[in-house]
Amino acid sequence: MNDLIDALHLREPVEAIRSKVVPRHRSSVWYYLGGFALFLFGVQIATGVLLLLYYQPTPEAANQSVELIMKRVPFGSLVRSLHSRSSNALIAVVFLHMFSTFFMKSYRKPREIMWLTGVILLLLMLGFGFTGYLLPWDLTAYFATRIGTEVPGMLPIVGEAIVGLLRGARSVSGATLSRLFALHVAVLPLITIVIAGAHVTMTALFGSSVPPGAKITSQTKFLPRYVLGEAILWLCGLAVLLTVAVLHPWELGPAYDMTKPVEPPAGVHPEWYFMFLYQTLKYIPEWAAVGLYTVVLVFWSLVPWLDRKAKQGERSPLFTWIGIILIAGMLVLTTLAYLSVSNEVAGQLPSFGSQATSEPFPLHQPAVDRDTTLRSKGK
Amino acid sequence: MFNHLPTKRRNVLRALVAGGIAFFVAPFAYAIEQFVSFQGALGGNKTAKLSAAELTPDSPSKLVEVEGEPVIVVREADNQIRAFTATCTHLGCIVSFKPQMPGFYCKCHSGRYDANGVNIPGTRPKSPLTELLVKQNADDLEISLTPKGTGSASS
Repeated sequence: MNDLIDALHLREPVEAIRSKVVPRHRSSVWYYLGGFALFLFGVQIATGVLLLLYYQPTPEAANQSVELIMKRVPFGSLVRSLHSRSSNALIAVVFLHMFSTFFMKSYRKPREIMWLTGVILLLLMLGFGFTGYLLPWDLTAYFATRIGTEVPGMLPIVGEAIVGLLRGARSVSGATLSRLFALHVAVLPLITIVIAGAHVTMTALFGSSVPPGAKITSQTKFLPRYVLGEAILWLCGLAVLLTVAVLHPWELGPAYDMTKPVEPPAGVHPEWYFMFLYQTLKYIPEWAAVGLYTVVLVFWSLVPWLDRKAKQGERSPLFTWIGIILIAGMLVLTTLAYLSVSNEVAGQLPSFGSQATSEPFPLHQPAVDRDTTLRSKGK
Repeated sequence: MFNHLPTKRRNVLRALVAGGIAFFVAPFAYAIEQFVSFQGALGGNKTAKLSAAELTPDSPSKLVEVEGEPVIVVREADNQIRAFTATCTHLGCIVSFKPQMPGFYCKCHSGRYDANGVNIPGTRPKSPLTELLVKQNADDLEISLTPKGTGSASS
């Protein structure tokens, strides 16, 4: 082993990892989230590669191939449900990791680029969520993607071009499925591996950031102590995911047939992590919403350079408050979005011709009786 | 790990850790093995149906699909209709019917079979093509992957 390390000239990095220590203080428990996100990304790669063995990315076969995975392939339901549930967990963990490092002001010198790669990774994870959502080609997926691919069109100058690139056709179609599939399984993973690799390497180089004013109580050796602690979290996370995936398999709605257009199901809405955006679009014009979030994103990326106090190692309550306001805003918008969706489904808002159902949160639409829907529309 | 412990205790602990990891990994390995080994995805038709009139003296053979497998249906000089698996037993190419031989020829590696599908010694294939049961009702032919001479050979 030692000979191999010497032959590869890896003596220095190996020694660095062996002697690496992780500081302990009142906030150090949040350190585990980055590693947990990495683990969940590993789960995504493993289950994703397995799904690729049977998934077929065409409008004719996509829904059927997912049904085959769910119903006939041994452990197929588990693999797909794990992929879907774990993707949601991953995005939640990435959000928590981002806000925890934000409040610890971990972005300050020398970790500015690390923060930037983190923001890019968050966008990549959202991109995975968006592109993966269409792949089962059911009603909810189809309509969510119709709406989702419309949003970038509000951007000035480049908007139309982005919509065209995403859809590859005037409307969401087989070309869109091929493109989002290519993004989901090839383009985004390649970029993610490079950026995540840089992000993790910088952790190894810079060590864990200690927030200004925190008192270091002790130090944990990275090997084996810290890694074992991380492993406990990974195994607990995996146990929870497996349990949820077995007890609540991810549902599959009826296939969308492009030759027979139907109305969207009542209360069509995106996944929870896009709900704040969805709700914003109800209050302000689309161009303003896209503009607003672009400004927020640019500001968020530049925080390491804007937060002068943290830069000098001082406390910076202003930025803490900015973070709190941002989280509060997202939570309020998300709550309002879910309330309006449940109202719409319960039929309290005018929902022209669509059937009211009693289900409060139809995240994944049950089969819609297309004939009834069309008839009541025609009356 | 456990370098600070006496050798015996250290070995026991290491064996326990290794056993624990194996115990944890085994069900995942089993599930993945089951998942990747599934063979039912091909689909295709249980039987191929065609009309005997499709086989003319000018084109006495036709390739059809049964359960995703290529099958060659031939009309012999005496008008008898027979079907064989069309997958060459050498390296899996698809054979063609040569009425002038008569027999089957594989253009990938010049493999030859006689009119009964038996591989001709000296050419690459080492085993024969399988003759399949043809259910004939007047001009209507129905072919499944049932070998001739087995199963319901009554018709």
